[in-house]
Amino acid sequence: MHFLYFDPGLGAMIVQAIVAAVAGVVLFSKGLMYKIKTLLGFSKKQEEELFEDIEIKDQDTDNKQ
Amino acid sequence: MVDKSKHASSFRDPSGYIYTEEGVIKRAIFPIYFKQYNALTTSGFFDSLFKNKLLIPHREIAKTETKIVIQPEHIPFITYPYEWSFNMYKEAALLTLKLQKYSLEKGFSLKDATAFNVTFHKGKAIFIDTLSFDFYQENTPWRAYKQFIAHFLGPLVMAHYHGAQSLKLMSNFIDGIPIKMLASMLPFKTKMNPFLYSNIHLLAKFEDKHNEDYKGESKASALSKKGQLNIIQSLYDYIKKLSLKEHSEWGNYYDKTNYTNDAFVQKSIIIDTWIENVKAKTLIDVGGNDGTFVRKINTNLQQALVCDIDNNAVDFNYKTIKENKESFITPFVLDVLNPSAAIGFQNKERDSFIGRMQDFAPDVTLALAVIHHMSLSGNVTFEMSAQFFASFSKHLIIEFPKRNDSWVQRLLNSKVDFKDHFDWYCLENFETAYCTYFEVIEKKSIANSERVMYLLKTKHVK
Repeated sequence: MHFLYFDPGLGAMIVQAIVAAVAGVVLFSKGLMYKIKTLLGFSKKQEEELFEDIEIKDQDTDNKQ
Repeated sequence: MVDKSKHASSFRDPSGYIYTEEGVIKRAIFPIYFKQYNALTTSGFFDSLFKNKLLIPHREIAKTETKIVIQPEHIPFITYPYEWSFNMYKEAALLTLKLQKYSLEKGFSLKDATAFNVTFHKGKAIFIDTLSFDFYQENTPWRAYKQFIAHFLGPLVMAHYHGAQSLKLMSNFIDGIPIKMLASMLPFKTKMNPFLYSNIHLLAKFEDKHNEDYKGESKASALSKKGQLNIIQSLYDYIKKLSLKEHSEWGNYYDKTNYTNDAFVQKSIIIDTWIENVKAKTLIDVGGNDGTFVRKINTNLQQALVCDIDNNAVDFNYKTIKENKESFITPFVLDVLNPSAAIGFQNKERDSFIGRMQDFAPDVTLALAVIHHMSLSGNVTFEMSAQFFASFSKHLIIEFPKRNDSWVQRLLNSKVDFKDHFDWYCLENFETAYCTYFEVIEKKSIANSERVMYLLKTKHVK
């Protein structure tokens, strides 16, 4: 069920198919470049990053407690 | 249903509403959302987000056939998007994307993506709209996509190209920066970037094209889950890497001050002792830069708000909080001469700075190296600034740089012909004005400097 309490924008709903396609190409090419660089030994050492990865682990902290 | 205690911003989502009962924030849930709520609870979805500290934890306090009531953990002070520094804003955006990805994997989806769904608590961005999760319907696009662009990607990309000041635009656009305006304000070269072109320029075009379709003739196209995950992942990757073009290095502020090392140490010892003497648990540091002085306080504080007008200083403070994993400091951007106003319907949806401060009622307000800026740059009289500080603080620790202080001299000289107008800026006038609102508990000069520290107590507080 959807609660239509704000306008999602029809254009925004339609355009997502194209945005997703572009994103797919970008992600694929970046992944490919990363693999090539790693194979050739160009990969940079990961710097200490302020923000972590997108993944959320299930019950992440259970083991630590 | 009219409920006087219902929060003024809680009227859009029919799933439930927020209200206050004896000073405690609670959330009522209507039967229309029971199915979602039960699924989110029993599947362990909520628990997992609580454990990862991504969603504000709540406990169920009442359950009937017509209403469920939950009580979320108390957040001492809510900050709004237009008060966040660049990296705070980034974290809020990344949090929203993280939640959407996790939701999709578990068969849910965020039904909205406003930046006001996020605030900062215990040194981290946290999602506060528990009822934002709905069931995911296979092959449908993300309903909140446009909102995410208007609330998050838009302001962040604007900040990247035009400086962190752009984030303040959110105080005028409560539902995000209009996409068409956003597209027109970005430099031409952003059209060459496939990511920005598709997410902003193409979106603006499509929105423009379809916004006069009153008959509902066009159909929203289908989008696979994989497709939506690609959008989410690419937004995440882009935002995670986004940086400011302007100098992002802070940290050298205290090298530029006219303090000798001794005076600096002396000042922090005075503050530390006074904080201990008044047994402060909560405080606000107005003009607190990167939080240097708050970190020198040895008393265990429950909550310290550290604000500054400079987005970079707040950002530097925020990075330090993350690195040190500090949970008691909440930093935010504040212009004392123009604090955040109350906005939204009836000016009630988002509370003003003063309104929130009066609720927070800190034990101590720190105003270090602030008064000369308020008085000389802002032309605010002593009477006015005293009234301002007295309106929310129980105690005030204020530093007064005398006329001969080099910073004061610099500010005065910049007034050129107008300089004589500021003859009133002197210690005697300061004391007279402040004594109307405060009683002086202690007064100490900092040796080898032109500065005097005061510990004041607001008069109407017993």
